[in-house]
Amino acid sequence: MMTDAELRELCRRFFDGYEGHRIEEVASTLADDFTVWMAPFDKTMQREDWLKSSVSGWSNTRRRIYIDRNVDTFDCGFVHRYTLHITEHSGRKSTLQVCVVAECRDGRIVHMAEYIDPSKSPAWEERKRREAAAAAAAEKAAAEVKA
Amino acid sequence: MSDDTDLRDLCNRFLDSIERRDMGAVAEILSPDLQFWANFTNQTKSRDAMLEAIGAGYAAHRRRTYDDRQIRTFDHGFLAQYTCRLVRHDGSSLALWAAMVAEVRDGRIVRVDEYLDSGKFAKQPASGAAR
Repeated sequence: MMTDAELRELCRRFFDGYEGHRIEEVASTLADDFTVWMAPFDKTMQREDWLKSSVSGWSNTRRRIYIDRNVDTFDCGFVHRYTLHITEHSGRKSTLQVCVVAECRDGRIVHMAEYIDPSKSPAWEERKRREAAAAAAAEKAAAEVKA
Repeated sequence: MSDDTDLRDLCNRFLDSIERRDMGAVAEILSPDLQFWANFTNQTKSRDAMLEAIGAGYAAHRRRTYDDRQIRTFDHGFLAQYTCRLVRHDGSSLALWAAMVAEVRDGRIVRVDEYLDSGKFAKQPASGAAR
């Protein structure tokens, strides 16, 4: 079992790495079988897909800052509440209140659940629409294959 | 400080009381100086305002259940991840995935932070199961 200090340090490394766009540092905090579930999309991603999508997301925004960080630890992980300030390349800004629950094992994160309200951010709303459109297209394609 | 069992029991009693519409029990669990904050409003409300909001929810929905509960405890509170299933008076339903972090003092909840996707309120289909 990881200690409170170890869990807090792991949380800090992950979010500092993410904020600084340091993908190798972020990857070093994740277990090989890492998964992430995003409540707004009810979607689970595997480690490699999520890392690729993170890099892609960074290229879509000028800056992301994680402030008001509030971390609580429990026996096998942490819950991190924070304010995320996003600045897009257009200069458009948005602020989101986010809660991430992480399960950890052997010094790395094995699962994350992300709770967010995309309606508070135009960029996230657009992402949500894209995800819904992609899911609908995949469903349609699957139905056509079956037919 | 409460122990793990006490905190889990408090969390379950809180959610069970809301499900049962037992406002007396809900009020008993909440400290008089409770602060209730939600990510979709980014506003902090008082205990009375929270009780009022719960009551307003009863008027809008036939049934509300807190399913798939995952509860974790820490030294001064708990985290609950759950699926909130709502059944409207016309029989249609929707489901919200939410997380709630509560701070506890002397066996009562003193602060609740709730995180959910408010877009689910309006965008889910008006009939059939949400998930």
